[in-house]
Order: sequence, then C-alpha cells, then structure tokens
Amino acid sequence: MALASTSVDGALLALKIAFIVLLYVFIWRVIRVASREMRTPQDSFVTAPLAERHEKRAPRPGSLVVVSSPNLEENERLELTHEPLTVGRGPLNDLQLLEDDFASGRHALFDPRRDGVWIEDLGSTNGTFVNGVRLTSPRHLASGDIVRIGETDFRYER
Amino acid sequence: MSARTRELLILILVGLITATGFASVYIARQNEISPESLSYAGFFFVLYLIAHVVARFTVPDADSYLLPMAALLTAIGLTEIYRLGPTDALRQGLWVVIGVAAFAGTLITLRHDFRRLESYKYLFGLSALGLLFLPALPKIGHSVNGARLWVRIGSLQFQPGELGKIAMIVFLAAYLHSKQEVLAQGRPKDFGPLLAIWGCAMLVLVATHDLGSALLFFGIFLAILYLATARLLYVGVGLVLFLAGSAGVYETTAHVRDRVTIWLHPWTTQAIPCPGHTALMPRQECASYQLVKSLYSIAAGGFSGTGLGKGTFTLPSGGNLIPDLNTDFIFSALAQELGLVGIAAILLVFMLFTVRGFRIALVAGDGFSKLVCAGLTFGFALQTFIIIGGIVRLIPLTGITLPFISYGGSSVVANFILLAALMLISQRANEAA
Repeated sequence: MALASTSVDGALLALKIAFIVLLYVFIWRVIRVASREMRTPQDSFVTAPLAERHEKRAPRPGSLVVVSSPNLEENERLELTHEPLTVGRGPLNDLQLLEDDFASGRHALFDPRRDGVWIEDLGSTNGTFVNGVRLTSPRHLASGDIVRIGETDFRYER
Repeated sequence: MSARTRELLILILVGLITATGFASVYIARQNEISPESLSYAGFFFVLYLIAHVVARFTVPDADSYLLPMAALLTAIGLTEIYRLGPTDALRQGLWVVIGVAAFAGTLITLRHDFRRLESYKYLFGLSALGLLFLPALPKIGHSVNGARLWVRIGSLQFQPGELGKIAMIVFLAAYLHSKQEVLAQGRPKDFGPLLAIWGCAMLVLVATHDLGSALLFFGIFLAILYLATARLLYVGVGLVLFLAGSAGVYETTAHVRDRVTIWLHPWTTQAIPCPGHTALMPRQECASYQLVKSLYSIAAGGFSGTGLGKGTFTLPSGGNLIPDLNTDFIFSALAQELGLVGIAAILLVFMLFTVRGFRIALVAGDGFSKLVCAGLTFGFALQTFIIIGGIVRLIPLTGITLPFISYGGSSVVANFILLAALMLISQRANEAA
C-alpha cells in the first residue's frame, strides 16, 4: 500500500512536470513563427480613408488611359484621386460604362492605398483582368498594367 | 510543409498535453495508475482531427496555429471542469462537440465568400439585439445570480448574448466599412442607425445587469470605430461618455456600488451588517467571500502549483469552497493547480491567439475582413482581460466567461464560430499572397 501511494505520487509529479514542459514547447513553436512573420513589412489595419490621412504628403496616385472602349473616348486620361474609384454599368459608380454590356452593375474598384493603387473585383459576372489574368483577389497595379473591365481596357500609368 | 500539415503536427502536441493533464487528474482522483485515463485524450484528439479534416478541405491555406490554440484552451478547460465535477464535464464535452460542429458548419457554409455577409448588415444588427433581448422575455428567460442572461428551453440552458456579440461585431464592421468615408467627416446623421442599434444593446445589457458584457460591447464599439475612421477624437469622446455613464450607473444602482466596494475593500477587520444574514460578519465572510476565497486559491498555487487534480476546492464538510468555480472563477482553480508557471503559459496562449488574430487583420485584403477580424480578436482579448482582471482584483469583477475555458455551452459554441471566422479571413488573405 505504501509502495502504491509512492508510485502514484511519483507519477503525478512526473505528469505535472511533463504538462508544463509540453505547454511551453507548444508556446515556443507558436512564438517562433509569430516573431518571424512580425519582421516582414506590413500594412496598418486602421482602415481609415486614405485621402484624409495622406492628402498632404502623398503624391497623386496616377491615372488611367482608355485603350479601347464601347463608350469612352480612346486615349482619354482619367486622373485618379486619393478617393477609391468604383467602375461599373450602374448609375452609382464614380466611372460609368454605359454601353459596355459585359460590365456588371458594380464591377471593380480602383483603391489608392499608401503603397500604390490596388484593383479589386466587386463580384462581377465576367471578371476583371489585369494583363489578361483574371483577378481572384485585390492586386497591386504597376505602371503600364492593362486592366480589362467588361469590354473596356484601361492602361494604368503613374 | 503545408499550413494544414503544420497544424496536424501541432495538434498532436496538443493531444499529448491533454493526455498528460487528464491522466494527472484521473490518477489523483482514483489514486491508481490506469490506462483508462488516456481514453479522454483519445476522444479529444479524434474530435480535433475531424475539425482539422474539415479545415483541410475548406480553408487549406488558413493560419496553422489558431485551431491548435483553441483546442489546447478547450482541452485544459474541460480537464479542469472534469476535475471539479465529472457530471458538468459530460455536458460540457457535449457542448464542445456541438462547438466543433458549428465550426465545421461555418467553414462549409461560408467557404466561397464570407464577404457576402456584409450585405445583410441590418439583419446581423437586429439579430444581435434579438439575442440580447431573449433572456428578458417571460417564460424562457431565466436568472442566475441576479443577472438575467439565460434562456432555458426544456433542460437546455443557453446564454444568447455570446452569439449576440459576434452578430454585433459583424454588423458594426459592415456598417462602418460601407460608411467609413462619410463617417470620417463626422456628420451626425450618418451615425443614426449605428447609434440606434448599439445604444439599444447597451440599454438591454445595463437593464439586465450584465455589466461585463456592457463593458465588452462598449470596448468593441470604440475599437472598431477607431479602426474604421482613424479618428482618436471618437475614442476620446467615447471614453468620456463611458466615465460619465459609469458614474451615473454607480450613483443609481446599488448592485454596481456593491461591486466597487468589494473590489476596493474586500477585507474588513470589523463585523459589518451582511445582506441576507441577521448576524454581523466581516465582509470577507459575506459579500466578498467568493473573491477572497478565489484570491486565496491563486495564492495557494504558488510558483509551480499543486499539480492537476491535487488542489483544494472543497470544504471539509464536502461543500464547494468557491461558488461558480467552473464558470467565472475557473482561472483561480487553474492558478492553484498549475501555479504561476502554468497560468502564465495559459495567459501566453491567450496573448498569442490575439497576436495571430491581429496579424490576420493586417494581411486581410479588404476593409470589411479587416474590421471583422480585428473586431472579433479585440473582443476576444478584452473579454479575457475583463474576467481575469476582475479575478486578480485589477478592475471590479463582472461575471463573464473566460473564452474556450469556462464551463458554458453558449460560450464554447460562440468561440468556435469566432475561430471559424478568423480562419476564413486568414484563408482569403493567404490565398491572395
């Protein structure tokens, strides 16, 4: 009986130590990855409208040149501001594509952020393409990129 | 190595931790070493394996550490609940199964695009209100310890406010995201719907004496408002309103005054009148009995604790030393059995969960996801702070659950839905990269 209770106590002590050690091994594993990721550059998650925060120092974000379009003038240049610009066939868009039957009501969004202009598809039927590749998530635009919305092609220039 | 394979490996580690913890409780209880003690860890491991497989199919690129951290906290919580009372543990085990089912259900339903939830924002706002209001209804509403937070249908008890919290965060994020341009300019009329829904929620919470949740909702509101507008002014105004509101509630509500007195002066040297008793007794034997005994329990743990299963939680007569030990006060039970080393580890896991959540908000591609993710994570962190801060007497104690650990079905289910939401947002952000 005495022997049994010693072995129970011994087992409990071993389990107690093992529990704490394993717990810290777990934490160490998670921290290792977290600290590695924290060193990579990142955006802020304060999502304030960019215009307000940066209007004083940020340069103009660039412009869109119409390459081909059913209703817009070719080579027309549209200056982007720091406000996001929505594009689509519907009347509530900042830029309306009236005769473009392949454009959705709310089609895409040009979103000027601190690190440049991003394009985002707003769930359009026919998709938004950058240099012929269909967007699956917001994408950072580089100067000279061709953005296709419906049957309208824009060239982004900084 | 893919994100899910990494998750599986770390889940195996969680399984080992669960096995050691439960074996310790089981051996201490039975006073003999037997292999049965491992069956429980086996059950847990299979359950999380199912969650893992669902995640593998629905969110293959999502963060690898969220599910293991939630699994670990739930397992530790359930182990401690079993240690305090095996019957409660059985019911809680059932709730964890339901929680994992809710997790899987959320992932499967929303795997294509959770962002469509944004268009149902008013539905979320109103259902948040509905859920908060349910316990106040006659017949199904039910009070526990002076706070009317429960809904009872048959033998099933549920605290709908926990789900209301998530619905409210989705509403706030969706509303603020769609209106952030105009809100930042500060025209009062744009705030109308926002203040109406949120104000009603605060009223319901204060009226039902759910001060912990009221504090939580207030904090979440200010945090999301700041994240969406970057105007510190709103936070400042909010804090001033909070102080004014607190002072008002303090003056008018005896219940709140008692909480503050218990917080500041839990011990008295002289016997004072005790509500509900005719005899005079010191406050630590009366109104602050629970808090003081919980502090003694934390102190008894010392540096390395008594070991799981070996703490003292019952009176020599067999009654419970601390009321509500497995819900609001589970932290002090764990502090006694795991000691400073162990409880610090658990706090670290909470902190890391929060860090991962904010990290996902950072990399999320669109504003709505960022706000939902940061809002949910902030709510999780603030809730942990409110209850632990209350237990260690940093702030006045308000009864609220410790996420993933406390006994309580609604809390477990709500937190698993929160976990699923973070993983969905993480999946979308990582997919894009």
